[in-house]
Amino acid sequence: MPSLTFPLSRIEGHARVVIDVEGGEVRSASFQATEFRGFKRLVQGVPAEQMTVIVPRICGVCSTAHHIAAVKALEDAFGVEPPPLARTLRELLLLGQLIQNQATSLFIFTMPDRLGVSSILGPGRDTDADERSQIAKHALAVRRAGTRLITAAGGQFIHPVKAVVGGMTGGIDTDTARVVADELASQLLLACELIEIYARTSFELRERIGTWGDDAPAYYLTAVSDSLPNYDGDLLRLLGPDEAVSTFPASSHNEHLTYEQPDYSYSGRTNCRGEALRANSLARINMAESMGTPLADGYLKRFRDNFGRPAHAILLFDLARCIELVYAIERGMQILAMPLSDEDTDVPYKPKDGEGYGLVEAPRGPLIHHYVIENGLIADAEFVIPTVHNIKSIERALMVAARRYITGDKIDMELEQAVGRVVRAFDPCIACATH
Amino acid sequence: MKTFAVLQLAGCAGCEVSLLNADEWVGQYRLAYMPLVISAHDVPEVDLLLVSGGVRNEEDLYNLRRAAPRAGKVVAIGTCAISGGVPSLGDRDDVREVFLTDRRHHVPQLLPKCHPIDAVVPVDRYLPGCPPTPELFMALLTGPPGFKMSAIVCIECGRKKLRDMKPNRFTGFQRGEVEPGICLINQGFLCIGSSTRGGCRAPCPRAGHPCVGCRGPSDSLIEKESAAWLSSISRVISGLTDIPAADIDCELRSPHLSLFLFQFSDYSGPGRTPRPKEKVM
Ligand code: SF4
Ligand code: SF4
Repeated sequence: MPSLTFPLSRIEGHARVVIDVEGGEVRSASFQATEFRGFKRLVQGVPAEQMTVIVPRICGVCSTAHHIAAVKALEDAFGVEPPPLARTLRELLLLGQLIQNQATSLFIFTMPDRLGVSSILGPGRDTDADERSQIAKHALAVRRAGTRLITAAGGQFIHPVKAVVGGMTGGIDTDTARVVADELASQLLLACELIEIYARTSFELRERIGTWGDDAPAYYLTAVSDSLPNYDGDLLRLLGPDEAVSTFPASSHNEHLTYEQPDYSYSGRTNCRGEALRANSLARINMAESMGTPLADGYLKRFRDNFGRPAHAILLFDLARCIELVYAIERGMQILAMPLSDEDTDVPYKPKDGEGYGLVEAPRGPLIHHYVIENGLIADAEFVIPTVHNIKSIERALMVAARRYITGDKIDMELEQAVGRVVRAFDPCIACATH
Repeated sequence: MKTFAVLQLAGCAGCEVSLLNADEWVGQYRLAYMPLVISAHDVPEVDLLLVSGGVRNEEDLYNLRRAAPRAGKVVAIGTCAISGGVPSLGDRDDVREVFLTDRRHHVPQLLPKCHPIDAVVPVDRYLPGCPPTPELFMALLTGPPGFKMSAIVCIECGRKKLRDMKPNRFTGFQRGEVEPGICLINQGFLCIGSSTRGGCRAPCPRAGHPCVGCRGPSDSLIEKESAAWLSSISRVISGLTDIPAADIDCELRSPHLSLFLFQFSDYSGPGRTPRPKEKVM
């Protein structure tokens, strides 16, 4: 049997899955990222302080995370400490990004797999078109609340500008904060309703296919703390299959993680001591003691009661996103109730040459920017991308799915759906992974 | 109902994400193809084809050539599709080497240069911006009554230009406290809103950050060479500051320019006729 190629959609960017089968045996499953723009090289020679504007363009889905990682890498190199209010505003930016991203991943990318349609936005032949357009309307409204939060804290919701070396260009005035908080409060209800539909249809899916996408344990990696997660991270935490946790700074990522470059993809692939590594929602939820906000803690308990801790099945990445969506909305409201209009949002600094690391927890996991600065210009840059950490895990999970649906000389047509579900559970971002 | 499709080439998906926030088209158009949100693997016949991203590899070239003839109208969306955008910073010999020597298996081969889409297919309209705002997408798709945009970003920014606040040197790109309500140039920032087309509502200078020109040149500059654009900016800066002409010139031609020029690069590149302003929104 030749190899089977599956084009992918409802993910960010250009990629496909290729499964090689020989004599009825699944030989390999590869995840192939097919785009490349060369950011690592093209930023060489750029004035260091302009990185905060250039690197968000790595990805319009994750631009907030790149914006802040760039600022933090420069602050690290220049030896500047932003004031506490700036840290809070950056946390708010990352919460807005998480709301936007998890709402998009849940209700636009993966909900169609539960409903058996090609999209919640596009043309459909289904008889439940009315219910679907209602879901679409609410889904867009919830994700828009996240974008409003980013706009308030960052100036614009794609490629934000307000984070600068030394702090932020400004705070959020009381009126704006109130408007955004009110919108979050009303979207919280809609989000919870959507999550109920999502959970119900996910359990129905589980009944139909007979699995949550069971897979072996893996390493898990995150940059958030284990309670009241702050996505403006400072240290990486790694959970091993033996359930021991190790902690290390971004500057020593190379000692814990190994990067390979497969020749069939423009994306790299990380492993941890030769084993599969996972970042993204399930890593954070497996490592969280509590969320620290009331509704999200309720969802976390429900999740743990059903699936235990740590949980490893693939489709649980999606359900873990539900908990985080609720947390991000609740936490965003808490922060917006604090005074954010103070003028002390930045400190003066002097640029200097050297080296710096910037770490944030992006929706897909820990993101590291590492710059070497010479004569005020970028001499070298390294972007350590969370999607890359997940590639080996995606391929392993694809093997499991392929073996389930390819037996002897028969291919179950469910395979195509399964490939889509596995990949989307990891919510890969190809623009970031290849940059 | 009219139909439209969104073809994403080499970009960052920011243009698509912006379009998702402009969701009022949902009742007025049928979205027939947009891999980011729909599982569909080929562009059907549509009234409108929006193309984002530049032409970076062979697959982009193939997909664009195949899709464009199926569309009533083709619209280039965002700076990448129009002028290459940030990825076109890679069009330098030292970087190009990477694209030319990379020979991976099974993945689309890279082209030596990142091309704007009108180098490959005829384009009916241009919507610049990195990304264009949801409001601009709405204006393109549904033309809401009462939609107006200003000639330049300065008009939409609302900061006051002062005659008596004249710094004698540049503050740096984004360094230092930003005074509210006062033009960023008066404060020594290199803001190029005065030569950049409006329509974005000036989110960057309003937030205290210089405009980097992502909407591209204004109508009065778009059909001219970049030299006209440079002298227009220097005139504005020397009017509002006491910065010596030589310093302004040096700052504008320093590598900072990479930042501003990436928005401009192909508008009137060598051998290319400038885009007629009637086609640019
Ligand atoms: S124009 Fe800007 S937002 Fe649009 S794809 Fe290019 S980099 Fe992204
Ligand atoms: S203010 Fe300038 S940089 Fe910002 S969106 Fe408008 S044109 Fe683009």
